[in-house]
Amino acid sequence: MRQDSRGFIPVRRFIAFGIAIFLVFSTLTVRLYDLEILRGDYYHVLSEQNRIVRLPVPAERGGIVDRTGYVLARNIPGFAISVIPVDLPRTREEELSQRLGSLLTLPSDSVDETIRAQRIRNPYEPVRISKTPVPREIALAVTERAELFPGVRVDPESIRFYVDGTLYAPVMGYTGPITEQEFEKLKQSGYLGNDDIGRTGIESIYEQYLRGTYGWREIERDAALREIKTLALQRATVGDTVSLTIDDRLQKLLDAELRKGVDDDKFTQAVGVAMNPQNGEILAMVSIPGYDNNMFARGITTAELAALNGDDRHPLVNKAIGDRYPAGSTFKMVTGLSALSEGTATRETVVNVSASSFSVSGTTFYDWRQHGSLDFVHGFAHSSDIYFYTLAGGTQFAPNVHGVGPDAIAKYARMLGFGSPTGIDLPNEDGGIMPDPQWKLATFDEPWTIGNTYQEAIGQGFVAVTPLQLLNAYAAVANGGTLWQPHLLKQVTDAAGKNVPIPEWTSQKLAMTQDNLRLIRESARRVVTIGHAYMPNLKIPIAGKTGTAEFGASTGKDSAGRNKLGFHNWFVSFVPQADNTDPTAQIAMVIFTYDSSKSLCELCLNPAVGMTQRILERYLGANK
Amino acid sequence: MSLRRPATPLHDRPAPRRWIQIDPILLIVTLLLIGYGLVMTYSTTAETRTFTGDPMQFVVRGAIWAAVGLAAMAAVALFDYAWLGAFAPLLYVFTLGLLSVVLAIGTSSLGAQRSVNLGGLSFQFSEVAKVLMIIVLAKFFADRRASIGSPLTMLLGLVLLAPAVFLVYRQPDLGTSLVFIAIFFGIAFLAGARIWQLVALVAIAAASFPIVWSLLKDYQRARLSAFLNPYADPQGAGWNIIQSLIAVGSGGATGKGLTAGTQSPLGYLPIAESDFVFSGLAEDLGFAGAVILFALYIVLLVAALRVAFRAKDPFGMLIGAGVATMLLCQIMVNVGMAISLMPVTGIPLPFISHGGSSLVSICFALGVLQSISMRREPEGP
Repeated sequence: MRQDSRGFIPVRRFIAFGIAIFLVFSTLTVRLYDLEILRGDYYHVLSEQNRIVRLPVPAERGGIVDRTGYVLARNIPGFAISVIPVDLPRTREEELSQRLGSLLTLPSDSVDETIRAQRIRNPYEPVRISKTPVPREIALAVTERAELFPGVRVDPESIRFYVDGTLYAPVMGYTGPITEQEFEKLKQSGYLGNDDIGRTGIESIYEQYLRGTYGWREIERDAALREIKTLALQRATVGDTVSLTIDDRLQKLLDAELRKGVDDDKFTQAVGVAMNPQNGEILAMVSIPGYDNNMFARGITTAELAALNGDDRHPLVNKAIGDRYPAGSTFKMVTGLSALSEGTATRETVVNVSASSFSVSGTTFYDWRQHGSLDFVHGFAHSSDIYFYTLAGGTQFAPNVHGVGPDAIAKYARMLGFGSPTGIDLPNEDGGIMPDPQWKLATFDEPWTIGNTYQEAIGQGFVAVTPLQLLNAYAAVANGGTLWQPHLLKQVTDAAGKNVPIPEWTSQKLAMTQDNLRLIRESARRVVTIGHAYMPNLKIPIAGKTGTAEFGASTGKDSAGRNKLGFHNWFVSFVPQADNTDPTAQIAMVIFTYDSSKSLCELCLNPAVGMTQRILERYLGANK
Repeated sequence: MSLRRPATPLHDRPAPRRWIQIDPILLIVTLLLIGYGLVMTYSTTAETRTFTGDPMQFVVRGAIWAAVGLAAMAAVALFDYAWLGAFAPLLYVFTLGLLSVVLAIGTSSLGAQRSVNLGGLSFQFSEVAKVLMIIVLAKFFADRRASIGSPLTMLLGLVLLAPAVFLVYRQPDLGTSLVFIAIFFGIAFLAGARIWQLVALVAIAAASFPIVWSLLKDYQRARLSAFLNPYADPQGAGWNIIQSLIAVGSGGATGKGLTAGTQSPLGYLPIAESDFVFSGLAEDLGFAGAVILFALYIVLLVAALRVAFRAKDPFGMLIGAGVATMLLCQIMVNVGMAISLMPVTGIPLPFISHGGSSLVSICFALGVLQSISMRREPEGP
């Protein structure tokens, strides 16, 4: 051991002190190496997360207009109340939940629960507390007393406004808050947890155009969570404007007539659809009763929703596409075309309807009168059931006429679009039912009977169609044999006014001769001029076909307190350019009235006929 | 306390020989650390200055304090440190007086009464008290080299220490009272105290921890709990620790650059110019900046120990040991706190924390060390 000349110097203790210094700095350096070198990137991210927040900047939703530019859906300003959990001290959470709860008339438990859940999920992201846009007064109450509302944000928010709410609701649909499941699927595409999304109708199917592109704002903020400055900004791009093929004038004419019919207690529900047979554009689509989609836009209450769901007239269903009905006599067009196309009947095929009923294996089949001798045009014009029983299955009234049979009818019916959705650009379209013997065997495990053929021939029995299917089939006849994909979208324009590419609409040529199609058009014109749907003082060459269907309950009252008579009327029509059965019709229309209360007699006028005449005369009269 | 060599200091005069014996390494490292401190003051107050309108306000104030400190250092070096020994009893009374004044008329900040306002300037007397206590304890143990092995000597030393620790603890300043205790251990260790007695003292302290715990204030307990698990209350007691770790870690190898740190200017890092100054340094200058600081500290401590080692008498040696202990303890606690190796306590980081009392006190202590160095026996041939 080294001896110092001065005995008081404890050398070993100095060495120990030196070792202590070495140990202290070694420990500190190792720890620093771990924090800064090994985990530096991790902490760098944390420090950036501390100060930089990227806030979404929602885009304004695009408008929806009719074919002339008349605005159907736009946005009006409102406010959203949200909470950023990191800005809210835990100790004040309960107090704030109660205050917000009473201000927004929400249970404070659920407010608290929302905040708590968000605190776990991402405390830096605002969570919307107000379920619906709140008016300016409530927004002001929050912003003016900010000290009472720690962590609360008030953001301007648009409320969707539907100009003619109930009139267009079945077509337009509505927007609503995104669900948890949708959000999981869509968050990669930039959707936010508190976003609105198109729920049904046009709003849903053209969400991609209407939504716009959300922007973002990257802000730096201090520990008190005050915004210091905006670091970067990506502006939102307003959604595209969607122009529909709808003509608001026709829509309103159609709606006024149908609504008047309901008000006059002629029927309880009604559907009207009009389209351009030349290209499949839907010009009007009315479904009554409907609902006011503004209820959904501003946030529907549980009671309101329960009332809509409890209504047995199903106001939430767009009956033009979403429900199926027997086609009735309108289906004779299909039976006739089948027989003509297969060659089992011609224009000259005559059936002597010498009785108003006949029986086959114990079942009696009726006609509405004893017509006498009828050729094709008159059989169609007077809507003789027996004439079409004969074309379909053969009867005693014309022993030399062979029925074309149910398989052929099904084949041509499907060619005309029955039995499957038309492909219109709306969600929840029904496909209807187009039966044939195989279908019956598969569905009911029973063989097809001649009775089934007769019922099918006049659109009863198993046949079920949507009003749009029926209209589309007649439109194909009216335009000379092209079955279009009906559609509501005319064009999409972006914020700069440029056209955005839209889907191509499909069409199919019918495997039918022009002569046969012309014969149907001529017969349909005769329906109006001499037949079943006589229109007095008619100023335009309307052609069409009536139909009457009986189904459903015919006793009791519906939700509106009206008698359910189970008796329903169709009139499907088109308007050739001149009275010459040319394939140039610019408009075709179907009207369906449900539960007609005053049409139990066979000779009473089908209310759809008169309405069609008034609507088309007014619409085309003003157009010319 | 008896004075063994009362006559010597009275005849001491600075002589050219003594100036030659000044410790140049200690002086240079002191100047470098003061400079480093001013740079860090500039960096961590970069954001604050935009609010006061005087961008260099803190730096200018720091420079003035540095000048005062250096003047004090030179003045103290001029005088023979033996004078300090001569007046040790007086210094002791003065120390306790200062600490009592803090409790009596001190101003509160952040819940603790630690500073006294004099003519618009705020003084932290406990910083001065630490240095004075070093002198008092050094004198005490230097005079008792013969009886150092006796438990009675240790007990007497503790009795000497206790009032100061108690007064600082009452401010309350737990950290500084722990520094006082560390100084006691450092001086006693180099004075030749029996190891088993020191170990026994530590054991007694550890055993009495439950009692100490019950005496702690709520916020002190919260800090200790937060040290063990900062994420238990990340918005509350754990906030400082978490934000400090983020600041340090995000500095990486070479830091974000001077004034480019984000944690302290945006307020995530509290008291970034004093208590958490190391976190700001590590964020701005990174691992490299911290290692440079450590290197300077090691040079400083080794230089201080060398002064002690070469001192002409036990009193000088023990003062050197006490100053080295104080500096090491403060560095360890402050840096340890910033990187979550120690609980949060409000102890300044020597030279780097912005604050005049700390800087001038340390300069005073280093002046004493230079005085010791100047008056050592010249190296033999």
